[in-house]
Amino acid sequence: MTSVAPALAFDCVTVRYEPDAEPAIDNVTFSLAAGERAAVVGLNGSGKTTLLMAAVGLVAYEGEVCVRGTSVSWRTAADVRDQIGFLFNVPEDQLLFPKVIEDAAFGLLRRGTARTEAYRRAAAALDGLGVGALAEWPLQHLSHGQKQRVALAGAIITAPPLLLLDEPSAGLDPPGRRSLARLLDRLDAAMLIATHDLDFACRLCRRFIVLEGGRIAHDGEDVSAVRRLWEME
Amino acid sequence: MSPALSVPGTVLIAATTAAWIYASGMPSRTLRSSTLLGLAMFLPYLLLVPLMVKGPSVMGPGTGWAAALAVPWGILLHGLAGLLIATATVSMLTASDLRSGLLALPLPRLFTAILVQIVHQTLVLMSETKRVAAAVAVRGGSGRWRAALRMLTSLPRVWLPRILGRADRVAAAMELRGFAEADLRVFGQRKVGGPDVGVMALAGIALAVAATLRWGLP
Repeated sequence: MTSVAPALAFDCVTVRYEPDAEPAIDNVTFSLAAGERAAVVGLNGSGKTTLLMAAVGLVAYEGEVCVRGTSVSWRTAADVRDQIGFLFNVPEDQLLFPKVIEDAAFGLLRRGTARTEAYRRAAAALDGLGVGALAEWPLQHLSHGQKQRVALAGAIITAPPLLLLDEPSAGLDPPGRRSLARLLDRLDAAMLIATHDLDFACRLCRRFIVLEGGRIAHDGEDVSAVRRLWEME
Repeated sequence: MSPALSVPGTVLIAATTAAWIYASGMPSRTLRSSTLLGLAMFLPYLLLVPLMVKGPSVMGPGTGWAAALAVPWGILLHGLAGLLIATATVSMLTASDLRSGLLALPLPRLFTAILVQIVHQTLVLMSETKRVAAAVAVRGGSGRWRAALRMLTSLPRVWLPRILGRADRVAAAMELRGFAEADLRVFGQRKVGGPDVGVMALAGIALAVAATLRWGLP
């Protein structure tokens, strides 16, 4: 019997932004199986974004992070990142090209896909996210929600086996959130979704990882633990 | 003698600039703000003129109003014309056109990638600056000019930290998306065609005319 490496595994990972500061995430251990989806929830400042940044080696950490069996280090970072679609919580930060279609197609062009084919697939991805009509628009003219969708199109265009999404439903209107959930639901990739939007998380995930003060306070299918946290005064 | 110091030279510079602006279809709002910026930058040199006329002469014989005016007038005319021509040219290009132009230049790939990103981020920063200015105006409850002044004074405390934070995040995104390793020529570097040759020839002729006006025929 062959064992499949988890899509993502954290082993005793601790991140400190300053050497003497309290850890932003503290001794975090969990793994995400291939194709599995989990929501990372927690109050503001609980370490959700830091957790995602550590997964791609964008912050220094103690412990070990593995993506599909490869330990993340400066040597392996480029290969590891090729297997990950990442959505930042401020979409503007990751949009690097003047036009919508160019940004969405970049991941494919970088991997050597012919321009016509890359643009065709990018247009299809944008269509799927409801922003197909904006393909030729300059990025500066888009609203926050539209930028969010374009950034997501860029993240999923290469069909990566692991998606790390930081507040993917933020800034989307209710129909937009529902259509995004439907679209993500059709993907086979493993997903780690940091969010405050419990309805959105429940549409996609059965597993909930609750972070409190940088530590995992709950990891399981019981959504009531999250609801209790949400109802805290 | 600089062409700015003769009436025909001044008329030629002004007419060329006006023709360039007209041909570029520069939006009137951009023209107005660029002219104001140019005047704010170059007019203050004229304040020195009375001092140069009345003060101890460092300009040798022939010092008078005309001689004192020569240098500041030359700076004003050249500076304003250069600024308007550059702004008019940029205003008719889209960011994609500008990028295609940069990619066509025979420069190292990494250098072009950084240059292209600087152009893109400048546009992003311009909209960020507008948002900060709007926030300053709304929260300060002030009019347009006072808001502009507040904006200027708040630059180091509000705008700069935000821009630094953004620069950090954009750098992370560039790293994550493999921007530096990508060959950006896939975005459609064009071959040099007939119109390009025509524009380059015109630019060459303009340069030759300028050199002839400046230094005379060899």
